[in-house]
Amino acid sequence: MDTKVRFFELTMWPHMRAAYNLARWLVRNDQDAEDIVQESFLKAYKAQESFRGSEAKTWMLSIVRNTAMDFRRRDKSGVAVPLGEEGYEPKDDSPDPERILLDRSRRERVRHAISRLEPEFREAIVLREIEGLSYKEIASVLGIPMGTVMSRLSRARNLLLAELGGTKLDGAGEVQHDLP
Amino acid sequence: MTCREAGPLLHARLDNELDMAGSASIDLHLSDCRACAAQYVALENLHEEITALDLAYAPGIALERRLASQFLKGTKSPSRPWTWNWLNASVMAAAAIGVVVLILSVPRLRIGSDTDAIAAEILDNHLRALQAVHQVDVPSSDQHTVKPWFQGKTSFSPPVPDLTEHDFILIGGRLEVIHQQPAAAIVYRRRQHVIDLYVSPSTGADSKTELRDLGGYHLLHWMQDNMSYWAVSDVDPSDLRTFADLILAR
Repeated sequence: MDTKVRFFELTMWPHMRAAYNLARWLVRNDQDAEDIVQESFLKAYKAQESFRGSEAKTWMLSIVRNTAMDFRRRDKSGVAVPLGEEGYEPKDDSPDPERILLDRSRRERVRHAISRLEPEFREAIVLREIEGLSYKEIASVLGIPMGTVMSRLSRARNLLLAELGGTKLDGAGEVQHDLP
Repeated sequence: MTCREAGPLLHARLDNELDMAGSASIDLHLSDCRACAAQYVALENLHEEITALDLAYAPGIALERRLASQFLKGTKSPSRPWTWNWLNASVMAAAAIGVVVLILSVPRLRIGSDTDAIAAEILDNHLRALQAVHQVDVPSSDQHTVKPWFQGKTSFSPPVPDLTEHDFILIGGRLEVIHQQPAAAIVYRRRQHVIDLYVSPSTGADSKTELRDLGGYHLLHWMQDNMSYWAVSDVDPSDLRTFADLILAR
């Protein structure tokens, strides 16, 4: 038991912040994110015998990601009105949207734009740009080939550019290069 | 290369995921195509902006506390004091995790033989070093830099062989205290895996290598010429044995 607790502490615990961050981005509210992290830690704790070697972070994050997907599914089929994937606004938006729009800092705009991406693009962006994972690590977390990681990031970033604006040429660039 | 082909590769280039040939062919295209070059600059700006904004959500203290009490206790020693320490530490956001690991790892389990305790301590040390920003005090792939560095700091002289031709790349060395004894940690890399070799003086008789597995990691211990050796890594055990044989035969 001692050993189990100790290994958990040394290999998994350091990724708690990354786990929370990913969960929070995926479900877009604090309470669900906390529940997901707790559930993921429990799964990781029980399954740690099956864990081998140095990729603790991707292992932990893939558990978080799968747990978050289960959460979303549960939400959508639930009786209580779920937070729709599309319509849901992060709750840190104040009740006065007009004023918020005016005041919204660049940081909030970027955060908002990312949170509006479809889940498959959002998770790629979060893992790459915020958690700093390599394509190989992202592929391992999401269970997809590295080529798919690249194309999802490509789509995701082009969408963000379109949303946030950049240089004047961005729009043209995106239309021209976007794969069907 | 067409613009269509270049599209996704711009991202791989930006993320440093292309090999030299791939980067070169994209760069060639960028030097020819203004639209793609402008797109690349825009992507680069976006990437830098998102990174700089630090958009990570931090868990609340209540969650950290709940998780810590659920998953980190159950070890031996007084859980109260470190829970309290840990709370304070977590307030200091930046250093929190490192501090936790440091505080928690010091008074480790004391069951089993002395060698078991040392094995546990070695592994703690290895894992902590893996998580640290600086895995080495003296970063160098040159044995003639690493070895003299230890000579100024220890009363003994650890072996620092150059094993490059066997695909064990020297990364550097650092000074540790293992079981209240100064120890030299010499750090090698085998592909993606880090191997720490701990060397400290000891009075025991020479012994053969002895392998232990702890939670996905492997530790090899042996005694030679009044020195105690521990090699630890998540590399394949056969690679670790090869490594130990090379040290033994140096």
